[in-house]
Amino acid sequence: MPQTSLSTTDLTIRFGGHVAVNRVSCDFHPGETTVIVGPNGAGKTTYFNLISGQLTASEGSVRKGDTDITRMSPSTRAKHGLGRAFQLTNLFPQLSVMENIRLAVQARAGAGWGLFRSAASLTGLNETTQRYLEAARLGDKAAMPAAALPHGDQRKLEVALLMAMEPDIYMFDEPTAGMSLDQAPAVLDLIAQIKSDPKKTVLLVEHKMDVVRALADRIIVLHNGELLADGAPDEVMSSQIVRDVYLGTATEETA
Amino acid sequence: MKQSIGSLTVKSAMLVIAALLLFAPFLFQDIRALEVAARICIFIVLVASYDLLIGYTGIVSFAHTMFFGFGAYGSAIALKQMGPGWDAVALGTVAGVVVSLVIAAAIGLISLRVKAIFFAMITLAAASVVLVLASQLSQITGGEDGITYRTPDLFKTATKLAVDEDGKVVRWFGVKLNGKLAAYYFVFATSLVLFLAMLRITVSPLGTVLKAIRENEARAEAIGYRVVAYRTFVFCLSAVVASIAGSVYAIWLKYTGPDTALSFAIMIDILLMVVIGGMGTMWGAVIGAVLMVMAQYYLRDLMGAASEAVAGIPLLPELLAPDRWLFWLGIIFILLVYFFPKGIVGTLTAKGARPPEPLEGPVGVK
Repeated sequence: MPQTSLSTTDLTIRFGGHVAVNRVSCDFHPGETTVIVGPNGAGKTTYFNLISGQLTASEGSVRKGDTDITRMSPSTRAKHGLGRAFQLTNLFPQLSVMENIRLAVQARAGAGWGLFRSAASLTGLNETTQRYLEAARLGDKAAMPAAALPHGDQRKLEVALLMAMEPDIYMFDEPTAGMSLDQAPAVLDLIAQIKSDPKKTVLLVEHKMDVVRALADRIIVLHNGELLADGAPDEVMSSQIVRDVYLGTATEETA
Repeated sequence: MKQSIGSLTVKSAMLVIAALLLFAPFLFQDIRALEVAARICIFIVLVASYDLLIGYTGIVSFAHTMFFGFGAYGSAIALKQMGPGWDAVALGTVAGVVVSLVIAAAIGLISLRVKAIFFAMITLAAASVVLVLASQLSQITGGEDGITYRTPDLFKTATKLAVDEDGKVVRWFGVKLNGKLAAYYFVFATSLVLFLAMLRITVSPLGTVLKAIRENEARAEAIGYRVVAYRTFVFCLSAVVASIAGSVYAIWLKYTGPDTALSFAIMIDILLMVVIGGMGTMWGAVIGAVLMVMAQYYLRDLMGAASEAVAGIPLLPELLAPDRWLFWLGIIFILLVYFFPKGIVGTLTAKGARPPEPLEGPVGVK
């Protein structure tokens, strides 16, 4: 059994009487890309928010390696190597593409408190920033405000921001949402690039089955906040229970 | 990068204003003009420090005059109690800074986690409490009357900085080299240093983080910045700068009272100056402070003259009567906001420097 880089144990969150995520226990491993699937409202994004810290669990725990991060703030989790991209484009709209990436680079370098140095003159930071700009093929748009980028480039910038944080654990929430067919490969290439590093753990929420097939080493299925299936892609995709969930029979039976 | 006409205009205006303020005692040789110049210097610093909060970080505070007041009263009380020495100036300024720092840190840590509107209310409450305290603790603060005191001998009008053979004060270009001149340059130099320091901060890594927090707080937190810590820090920083500005202004005025250092009228002036100049620009603080202070001091005179000039025409003299200066200030303000929605500096720099349309092809890297 490979080592565990991230694990959730009995992770639960309630909103009033509604249990959005119900006792989900799951381990994630370096070098493995896990895709989380499930119908709308299954709790996928909520599960993500619990792991990255936007929400705090009602019960259960989240561990990164040997550290319990259940009660940590998102910024502390980020310092522990947890990087999260968002479903809706979530950038710094009025700042330039370059500044967006440099923010992630300097957060990692711990240079956010530099008061009297000109940010533009920090060569180390700027070289790293430039590298990620090139990696995302956004070099020619560095000076543009993020808000002025076309949607596809905004998604690329979103991924570049995450890469610039250099986390151990990458979390993508529908990275190709709203992208046209010809734009999506650019983002998928970036993710494939991350995936090729055996030290990185990748978690992905995704609906599009071609994307799931292209990237997944393992699939877990969430349904009504519960972990329904967990296994190799072929195995999970062909299982009766998953077919039921997607075809809707499972909900009819419980109703 | 090519300069747009708008940002060139702003830059040349800055150079002109800086030159006018630097040579103010020589260019405008009357006491009132020097008073205006000193007030402009102080308000540039005060407004710029407020812009760090509201324009760069997106924090709305109504307690900025409170910190200004801590500084002013710190110097005033020290000078009154200890006599006109440099030790009193130093102690008063440091005391003001320490009080500002402690109160800002307390307010920040307690309430910067909550929603912006609650934070604004808490600062409003704190500022009201301090205003009431200042008028009630009249043994220390002089109450509504305020405190008058003497400042170090160097700043006395009678002090001769240089004398000729006859023992008379030397004149340069007709200006007496006396203590008043020294006092003005003390105000000018401190303001310049504080303003440049803040300008530097806005282009530092910290400045980018502040803008990131304004733009998207949740994402700033997600990439690893402790938003509460940064917010509290910038709140403390702007409080300290406001406090020092208050101390310097108290030394210049030789009088400190609620009207000059604590009233909400000053808070409203600061807000107007930030909005007129342009939030999140720093240079906007300069433009806003210059226009507003000039209007407060000279609009009345201007209208007096205008009213006399149109004396023969019906209705117009009444409309332009000097007593209606606030009415016209209001009209000017509405027009400014209408034609410069992002403030004068913000709107000018955006002109001609609009972000290129996404599909126009590659854009040159700086």
